[in-house]
Amino acid sequence: MGFLTVLKKMKQKEKEIRILMLGLDNAGKTTILKRFNGEPIDTISPTLGFNIKTLEHKGFKLNMWDVGGQKSLRSYWRNYFECTDGLIWVVDSADKRRLEDCKKELYVLLQEERLAGATLLIFANKQDLPGACTVEELKDILDLESIKTHHWKIVSCSAVTGENLLKGIDWIVEDIAARIFTLD
Amino acid sequence: MNSFEVPSSTIDDLDISHSFEDNDERYFSEVVGHIEEIIMNENFQSIQQDFMEKHWTQFEDDEENRLIYTDIFKEYQNTVEKYIEKSLLEKMPHFDPNKFDEELSNRKFELEGEIFEMLSTFSNFISFKNMFIDYKKMKEEKLAELSFHISVLKYN
Repeated sequence: MGFLTVLKKMKQKEKEIRILMLGLDNAGKTTILKRFNGEPIDTISPTLGFNIKTLEHKGFKLNMWDVGGQKSLRSYWRNYFECTDGLIWVVDSADKRRLEDCKKELYVLLQEERLAGATLLIFANKQDLPGACTVEELKDILDLESIKTHHWKIVSCSAVTGENLLKGIDWIVEDIAARIFTLD
Repeated sequence: MNSFEVPSSTIDDLDISHSFEDNDERYFSEVVGHIEEIIMNENFQSIQQDFMEKHWTQFEDDEENRLIYTDIFKEYQNTVEKYIEKSLLEKMPHFDPNKFDEELSNRKFELEGEIFEMLSTFSNFISFKNMFIDYKKMKEEKLAELSFHISVLKYN
């Protein structure tokens, strides 16, 4: 074990949880992050790098990482997999044209060894838009029932109205906490 | 159980655990002391200085982080980790990260102040970024000062 591994382990005592938020570009990852953090969401532009927010939630310190989703950036996602406790996959439920692409990228991630233990929350975002797919439709199109490798849940939400964001975050935090902090 | 045995075994237990605690305490302080020496040493300071000098122009004081920061952070971790481990082994040939780890887990953050801040730049990305942003501000102030003096000299 290296010296830095030791340092990193110190944080476990602090009940830190690392959450990685990914999804196609324009899915609403940064808006979810800012909304959840109580920041204004009217001036968000496409993320070309990554954002980090540290927030306290239910006695845990959540480190939330949001990495840009444009096609040219997706090969960099892997640099952020390490030590991830939870993966939030954000879907633009109204962008039906790209759901196949969305499904393909999600399944690539699920095969990633470094994400093997991570809890998966799928945010069916943009429910405020007309014509947005429902959770049931997305379950079907993304073939979610076939996921056996991860604890997963799909939650419909709207980053703009804030609807259900808390519900999703509560679930992922509880699932992670039950896995990694039960020994305390 | 007779009343004679109980106190004697209690005393033994107390003695043993007490002496273990002392040893562990000593080991822990020894390691921390060495780490402190290593990172306050000018060799380490110059390694870190060189590193920041090489990369500070890449950093911007923006909320969004550029992807390149992650590569720079990895490089920093590798450089620093190698240096600290090598120096620790020179000072303590029997240094055992696992034992140190155990000791850390038994404590609630007793590392504080300057050494803790420095250590956190090795493992915490946000501390690492802030270190660069501070360095950048310092450099830019110096450059501004320098250009101010240059212009003064020029008109004198």
